[in-house]
Amino acid sequence: MIRIEHLSKRYGDVTVLADVSAEIRSGEVVSIIGPSGTGKSTLLRCLNGLETPSGGSIHVDGIDLLDPRSDIDQVRRTMNMVFQSFNLFSHLTVLENLTLGPIKLKGMPTAQASARALELLDLVGLTQKADHLPDELSGGQKQRVAIARCLAMDPKIILFDEPTSALDPTMVSEVLAVIRKLARDGMTMAIVTHEMAFARDVSNRVFYMDEGRIYEQGTPEEIFEQPRLEKTRAFVNRIRSLVRHIDTTGYDLYSLNAEIEAFCARQILPQSVRDRLLPLVEECLQLCRPQLDRAPLDLTVAYSEKTGDLELFIERTADAGNLMDQASAPDDLGQRLIKHYAQSVQYTEVEGRARLVFRIDTQGAPLEVAS
Amino acid sequence: MMTRLLLPILLMLASLQAGNAIAQPAVAGKSVAETSLIASPEDLKDKRIAVLLGSAQASEATQRWPGATVLQFGSPTDMVVAIKTGKADAALSDGQPLKDILRQDPSLAILPQPLHRIPVGVGFNKGNPALLAQFNAFLASIKRDGTYADMIDRWIEKGVYEMPELGAPPFEQHLTVGVSEGGMPFGGVVNNRWVGFDIEMAQRFAHSQGKSLKIVSLEFGSLIAALVTGKVDLIAASIFITDERKQRINFSDPYFEETTVLLALRTRLAGLAASEDQKAPSGTWLARLKSSVQANLLTENRYLLIWEGLKATVLISVLATALGTLLGALTCWLRMSKRLLLRLPAQGFISLLRGIPVLVLLLILYYVVFASVDINPVLVSVIAFALNFAAYSAEIFRAGIQGLDRGQAEAGIAMGFGRLRTFWYITLPQTIQRVLPVYKGEVISLVKMTSIVGYIAVQDLTKASDIIRSRTFDAFFPLLLAAALYFLIAWALLQAINLLERRTDPHVRRNKGRLA
Repeated sequence: MIRIEHLSKRYGDVTVLADVSAEIRSGEVVSIIGPSGTGKSTLLRCLNGLETPSGGSIHVDGIDLLDPRSDIDQVRRTMNMVFQSFNLFSHLTVLENLTLGPIKLKGMPTAQASARALELLDLVGLTQKADHLPDELSGGQKQRVAIARCLAMDPKIILFDEPTSALDPTMVSEVLAVIRKLARDGMTMAIVTHEMAFARDVSNRVFYMDEGRIYEQGTPEEIFEQPRLEKTRAFVNRIRSLVRHIDTTGYDLYSLNAEIEAFCARQILPQSVRDRLLPLVEECLQLCRPQLDRAPLDLTVAYSEKTGDLELFIERTADAGNLMDQASAPDDLGQRLIKHYAQSVQYTEVEGRARLVFRIDTQGAPLEVAS
Repeated sequence: MMTRLLLPILLMLASLQAGNAIAQPAVAGKSVAETSLIASPEDLKDKRIAVLLGSAQASEATQRWPGATVLQFGSPTDMVVAIKTGKADAALSDGQPLKDILRQDPSLAILPQPLHRIPVGVGFNKGNPALLAQFNAFLASIKRDGTYADMIDRWIEKGVYEMPELGAPPFEQHLTVGVSEGGMPFGGVVNNRWVGFDIEMAQRFAHSQGKSLKIVSLEFGSLIAALVTGKVDLIAASIFITDERKQRINFSDPYFEETTVLLALRTRLAGLAASEDQKAPSGTWLARLKSSVQANLLTENRYLLIWEGLKATVLISVLATALGTLLGALTCWLRMSKRLLLRLPAQGFISLLRGIPVLVLLLILYYVVFASVDINPVLVSVIAFALNFAAYSAEIFRAGIQGLDRGQAEAGIAMGFGRLRTFWYITLPQTIQRVLPVYKGEVISLVKMTSIVGYIAVQDLTKASDIIRSRTFDAFFPLLLAAALYFLIAWALLQAINLLERRTDPHVRRNKGRLA
């Protein structure tokens, strides 16, 4: 239904969309997720011509959208959009918001348009508000009217641009319920959203966007359960991380400790976690210290808001070896301490990188003083 | 011509001087009134002298009495009112028009001896010597056949202000004469018609040329400018033949010798002061109002003047508002264009028009832009006010559009309305609703500004009240009547726009729909 090929969009020097190719088929519900500023909304706005792409092509039902000879307004009438800020026509009543398009653009008789509008208001549960003005409605009601306004045009596809981002948390569910109902009825939809649970159970397919591209796409299970790529995994698990590169023996341990403490405070981790994490980092650095000049290390502390897992990653070049090997240390004191602080330790070598993953218990009782 | 603008300042200066006179201690027991009695023209040396703007007396007074304050007025009426209200001590004026005034108002008097006599002639454009020669021949012929003597007898000696039936057939061509309310017997409006010696003479001359006469009423000070720029073919307003004027225009042979006389309150003139008590206005308040209405509205059907003036003011206001709004919308569209080539001229137009006083714009259009075109001054007024209104309304519209929520227009585009229909169905209704309160104020201010169109010979409400004042010398009634009528026009327009405002207010509209 919609075919996007090598789409790009630049504002001056800033590249918002680098190279996007994708297809949305009839009857599909596609969720577009990803961090802010990665071009999700821009992609959606390019699809119905609110933004003019810098390159590439978009075909809707075989019509080339970027061809100046195409009647883009005709395409827009079958491909309506729901905005983050609702954008209801403030000088018209709810009913008139729904009937304006059918009457003026499709030449539908007023009585017929009104009857259809009332049906749609019933669908979104707002029949009682037909005579109200937009500024008399709550945010959730406005967005439901906006959805009904789209439906009034009998679109083949609806584009949702963060439909719940401007809403109070209490109103999100009423809007999502309406969209779910449309999905059940087989409406083709493309939804830019930050509601992960919603995206997961309403979509047929999920696009994860990052770096101006569709970074990874798949079924909701693939994206949310087994993401293939690191960034996708970090995003869907809502991972917050602290990354430091250390390449000299003269590293500032105190400053590093302060940063880790601040990170823990931001994620509201209990004192017991800090009491484990700080000595763990210190011992690891101590063990790495002799080889630091030829094998610099990348240290990452990662916390998943979703699962509550806290992990420490130590990455070095593969030839530096596993520092938890008995042979690599003068005695096993450091290694024993590390095992004491960490819940589990895992060693992998991937693509020439040696990686140690330490899992820290975030639920554990306060630490007894080490003997 | 600028008197109307300068008048408040002049009046302020005049009252300052009056204040000085009071502050000076009376010398040797003589009262101020006694010391300032006027016995001869030389007593004017330290007085406030009223003259007609652009008249021969104006330059004479300035040169002859350097110590005096010369107050220039736009019409004899204003001069007389200034004398009566004590704003000026004496006026220098043509003798003949004062005869009429003196007959009506016994509180005024003139010095028995005229200051001097000056020949009066009809003015012609220097570029048209043929017309001048024809006029001189005409003048000689009416002096020969007794018509001239008859006119002098009727207008000047007997003071019968009626135009004789000349019984001329309708002519295809016309001759345009510039006249001014110089006062009777030479020229003035009686029964809503221009009459007077000058008018009859011009009429007879036109007919002798096989043409009909078209009368253009101007301020005395604008007569020569109108003649030079070709707005009129000749000017006849008991104009003194002076060397200064001869440099700019040609004069006919003199058709009269006018005297210059000194006019003052009877009580201020030596020798006359004691002779007669000033008549105080008598009767109750209601009786005085009745006599005011009688004099200002009913006598000579003067209400017709007000009616015509009202029509002109409303016509100019409404047309200028309509045209100015359309032009303003166009300017706004250009001003908001992304293209520099469209945006820059609109920007220039707006700053230029907003920087020029509308009176100056009006005069430029009449005397410069349309100098050589025979154009109705009402149309010139409409154009001037429309241009001025366009510049202001364009910026009002722009502010209204730019203040709108951009997202709604975007929603319209996304629905497939396209740019034009999005503007028509979504942007425009909301803009109208937003700009109406400011727009209302501009319309009202336009109505009031039209009171200056009298400068280019449009007989509007203000001009009508001026004409009535020139006949009745009543400063208050015509001015208050004009004020009341302006207020009513503004109020009516305001109601009309308020109605529109209520109709575009979605809350009101919605409630109506519910009732239905």
